[in-house]
Amino acid sequence: MRDRHYKLVATLMFVFLGLWTIISLFPYYFQFITSFKGIEEVNRITPTFWPDEFLWSNLDLVFSDETNVAALLDTLLIASANTALAVFLGSLAGYALARFPRQAGGENMAFWILSNRMFPPVAILLPMFRAFDTVLGSTDNHLSLIILYLVFNMPLATWLMMVFFRDAPRELEEAAYLDGYSPLRAFFKVTLPQVVPGMMSVALLCWIFAWNEYLFANMLVGSNVAVNTIQMPGFVQGAQKLWNLAALFSLVAVLPPVVLFMVLRRYMVRGLSLGVVKG
Amino acid sequence: MARLEIEGLCKGWDFPVIDRMDLTVEEGEFFVVVGPSGIGKTTLLRLIAGLESPNEGRIILGGNDISRLPPYKRPVAMTFESYALYPHLSVFENIASPLRARRLPKAEIEQRVKDVARLLKIDQLLTRRPAEVSGGQKQRTALGRTLVAEPEVFLLDEPISHLDAKIRHELRAQFHTLEALRRVANVYVTHDYAEALSLGDRIGVMGRGGLVQIGSAHEVFEKPQTLFVAEHLGQPSINVLDCELTARDGVLHARHRESLLTVPVAQAHVQRLNGGNADRVSYGIRPQHIAVVADGEVVRDGLHVIDSTVTLFEPLGTYAILITETAGATITALSSPEHRYTQGESIRLGIDTAEAFFFDAVNGKNLVL
Amino acid sequence: MARVTLDNVNKIYVSRRGNVHAVQDMSLVIEDGEFISLLGPSGCGKSSTLRMIVGLESVTSGEIRFDGELVNELEPQERNVAMAFETYALYPNFTIEENLGFPLEVRGISKQDRKEEVHRIAELLQIEDVLGQKPGALSGGQQQRVSLGRALIRAPAVFILDEVMSHLDAHLKFQMMIELRRIHQSLERTMLFVTHDQMEALALSDRVAVMSDGRLHQFGTRDDLYHAPANVFVAGFIGEPPTNFFTARPDESNGELTLLTLDGGARFHLSAERASRIRAHGANQYVIGIRPQNMSRIANGLKTSITAQVLLNEYSGEHSILTLTVGENRLQAITASSDGIKRDESAELYYHPDNVLVFDVETENLLT
Repeated sequence: MRDRHYKLVATLMFVFLGLWTIISLFPYYFQFITSFKGIEEVNRITPTFWPDEFLWSNLDLVFSDETNVAALLDTLLIASANTALAVFLGSLAGYALARFPRQAGGENMAFWILSNRMFPPVAILLPMFRAFDTVLGSTDNHLSLIILYLVFNMPLATWLMMVFFRDAPRELEEAAYLDGYSPLRAFFKVTLPQVVPGMMSVALLCWIFAWNEYLFANMLVGSNVAVNTIQMPGFVQGAQKLWNLAALFSLVAVLPPVVLFMVLRRYMVRGLSLGVVKG
Repeated sequence: MARLEIEGLCKGWDFPVIDRMDLTVEEGEFFVVVGPSGIGKTTLLRLIAGLESPNEGRIILGGNDISRLPPYKRPVAMTFESYALYPHLSVFENIASPLRARRLPKAEIEQRVKDVARLLKIDQLLTRRPAEVSGGQKQRTALGRTLVAEPEVFLLDEPISHLDAKIRHELRAQFHTLEALRRVANVYVTHDYAEALSLGDRIGVMGRGGLVQIGSAHEVFEKPQTLFVAEHLGQPSINVLDCELTARDGVLHARHRESLLTVPVAQAHVQRLNGGNADRVSYGIRPQHIAVVADGEVVRDGLHVIDSTVTLFEPLGTYAILITETAGATITALSSPEHRYTQGESIRLGIDTAEAFFFDAVNGKNLVL
Repeated sequence: MARVTLDNVNKIYVSRRGNVHAVQDMSLVIEDGEFISLLGPSGCGKSSTLRMIVGLESVTSGEIRFDGELVNELEPQERNVAMAFETYALYPNFTIEENLGFPLEVRGISKQDRKEEVHRIAELLQIEDVLGQKPGALSGGQQQRVSLGRALIRAPAVFILDEVMSHLDAHLKFQMMIELRRIHQSLERTMLFVTHDQMEALALSDRVAVMSDGRLHQFGTRDDLYHAPANVFVAGFIGEPPTNFFTARPDESNGELTLLTLDGGARFHLSAERASRIRAHGANQYVIGIRPQNMSRIANGLKTSITAQVLLNEYSGEHSILTLTVGENRLQAITASSDGIKRDESAELYYHPDNVLVFDVETENLLT
C-alpha cells in the first residue's frame, strides 16, 4: 500500500466521519439540553445551545404524573409480550419451514408469510379496529396491540428464523439422533443453541418495532392503555407547548431500545450475518 | 450377538444408488467399503443408521429387525465425515452426549468419558471447545463419542480422510489396535484403497448399485472380479488395453487393437480363455508387474521383454512412475526412484505375463477367475 | 519468467493477543523457469510466504526481488504474478471461454487475439470441448484446469499455485500432477507450488523448500531431501511411511564404531565416513534415522541387519508395510505384498550402512 495514498484517504475519511458524527448526534444533544430547559427558554425564537439553567426538576414534573409512567410501563409490557410471542411462534414456524419444507409448504408458503410484511399497514387499520372491537369488546387494552403487532413481527421472525435454522447444520441434529436424543430433545440440546444469536437479533428487531409503533397504537388505545408514542404528542397539545417536557419524556423513551441494543450488539452482528455468508 | 445383516436393501432417487444389496458383517469384523466419491458409500451408512429410509429391504442387528426404527432407537453409533461435533459444548460434553441422552448418573458418565478420553489421548483437552482443538483431536473426540456409546455396530464415515499424512498414519494404527472396536461389527467407509486394504478384515468394493466384490484384501486386489474393481484399487491405475486374442506361432497372444503391442498369454491363463468365447478382451496389467530390464540382466521365464521409450519419469519418493510409449501404446510401469530416466530414453520393459488379467470387453468380468 | 529472491524476509502479525512471527529470516533463490514447492504442515508459514511474494501481505523486514528488482512496495497487479487458488473461483454465469478470456479482456486485448490465446491454453489443458459450457456443468478436475488456465493465460512472470490439489481424489490428483509437469515443461515458467502433501511436492518440483514454524529447514532436490536431509524434521516429514528414528550411543567394539540403541536392542553399522565423523564429534548420544524403504527382508548381498518382532503386517496392494518392535522402539519396513509374516514372528531386516542417517541429538541437524 502506498503510504501517500493511505494518508490522504485516512484524512478524508476522518473529516467525513467527523462531520457525519456531528450531524447525527446533534439532535440527541439538542434533545438532551432541551429536556432540562425552562418553559420560556424553550419557546424563544432563537434557540440556545446550552440551558441557562439545568432544571432537574423537569424530571419530577414528567414522572410524578402517573399517566406518563404508566405509558412507559404499558409499552414495555406490550413490546415484550409481543416479542416473546412473535419469536416463539416464528421459531416454530421457521424450524418447520427449514427442516420439513415439503410438508410445511415450501418456498411458496415462506414467501407468502413474508409478503404479509409488504403491504402498507394502513390498509388493515379499519378492519382490525372492527375485528377487535367485535371480539374483545373494546380495542383499548394491551391484548389488542400485542396481537396486532404479530401481523408485522411474526412474518419477520418466521422468515429470519427459517434462514437461521437452515444454516444450522443438519448433521448436528443427526449426530444427536444417533446419540439417542429424540427430535424434540435434539432440538433443545443442539439446534436451539445454534440459533440463539440469530434469535437475539430477531427479538431485538421485533421489540424495537413494537416499541416505536404509533399508527395503530393511536387508533386502538388511548384511555385505559397508553403507549409512549401516543403519550409524547400530549405534551404539546394543550394551551402550553411543553417542548422541554416532551423532549425529556422522549429522551427517556429512547433509552430502553438503545440500552438493549448495546447489550445485545454482539448478537446483532453475528445474527444478521449468519444468514448472509455461506460458510 | 451383534451381527449386522442387510437383506435386499434398495435405495434410489432418480436412479438406484443401492440395488438389492445383501451383506452380513459378523460381530468383531472390520468391514471396509471402498469406492469412488459419490457412489453411495455414505448412503449405505446412513441407511444402517436410520438417517435415510430404504425403498425396500431389511436391516437386522443382533437378530432384531431395526428397519422401521428411528435413528435414536437404534443401537448404532456413527462418526461423520465432518465430525459433527457440537460447537457450543466442550469436548467432555461432546463425548458424554450419548450417556446424557440415556440419563445415566453423573459419576458414571464422568468415569466413562474420562476412560475413553485417556484411551484416545485427549484427556488433557476435555474442557476445550471443538473450535479450539486440531483436526486430529476433533476426529478423536468424534471417535470417543461413538466409543462411549457402546453400540452394537460402529459406522465410520471417512474418519481420517481430511487429516495431514502424519496424523492419518497415527490414527490408522489406532484403528488397528482399538479393542473396543473389535467387540462388535464395524462398517468403515473410505475412498483410499490403501487404507481399505490395510484395515479391512473384508473389503467391499462399491460400484454403481452396490457392492461389486466382497473379499479379503488379497482377494480384491489380486483377484478382481471385474475391470471396475481392478481399476479402482491400485496407484497408479492398472494399465488397460483393448485387445484381441490371436494365435501367433502356435502361442496365444493378446494384440492391442490400437497399437502394435502384442503380449503372449501365460500358460496358466490359456486354458481358461480358450474355454470361453472371447476374441476381444480388456487386458489388464498392473504397473508393479512391469519393470525395467537393464542391459545384460538375466531375464526369468514368464517375463515378456519389449522395447520402449520413456515419455515421463516421476520420482514419487518411495517409488517412481515411468510412463512409456511401448509399440505405440501408453504403458505405465513402476521403478526405483534412485535411477533417473530422461524423456525419450530407450529402455526395455519386462512384463510379468502371469500377473495379467483378462476382462470381458463388454461386461468387464474377469474371465480367468 | 523471473528469478525470485527472498532475502532475510520476516513476517510478523501484530495483534492484541501478542505477535505471531509467522515467517522467520527466510532466504531463498528461485531460478528462472524453475518449478519449486513450499512444503510444510499447516501453520508453518508457507501461505504467509506465498502471500508476501504475490503482494497480498506486506513484508515486515527483508527484501523480495524479481529479476533483481525490488518488489516489496509493488501492488500485486504490478508484479506480474498469477495465482491459482484452492477454491477455483470461476465465474458461474460465464462460459468457460469467457472465464478464460477474462484476464485478457480486462487488459483490453482485442477479441480476435483473445480467442486465439484462449484456444491455445484450452488445448494445452485439454478443455477445448467444454469451452461453450458453464462451470456448473464441469467436473471438479475440469474446473481445476479452467482455474489454472485463467491464471496461465496472462503469461505471468511467476505462476503460483496454492494448494490446488487438496480437493481432488487420488486418481484425479495423479492426472493433474502429470499435467502440471507437462505445462511447466512446455511453458518454461517459474512456478511456485504450495502444499502440505509431500508426495505432490516431490513429484512436481525441481526443488522443494521444507518449512515448519516459520523457518526454512532445507531447500533442495528430491535426492538432497532424501539422502541428505538437513535435520530430523526434514527426515521425518519427507517419505511415506515416515523415517524410523532411534536414539543411540556410540559403541566401539572389535575396532568398529557402531551405534547401539539406548535399550541395547539394536546395533546399527555405519559407513566409514560417518563413523569417523562421529569419532571426531565425540558426543555420547545421537539420533539415527533410517527409512522404511531402506530396510528389507531380502538380504540381496547385504550383511548388516537388525532383528525385530512383527507387530502389524499391513497389506497395501503393491507392497506391504510391516510395523515391528525392537526393544522399546517401534519401526516400519516395506516388504513384498506376498510376504505373509505374522504378528509376533521374528524378522531380519537388512540395510545398507550408507542409508543410516545420523543426527546430532541436541541440534537435530544432520551430522556431515
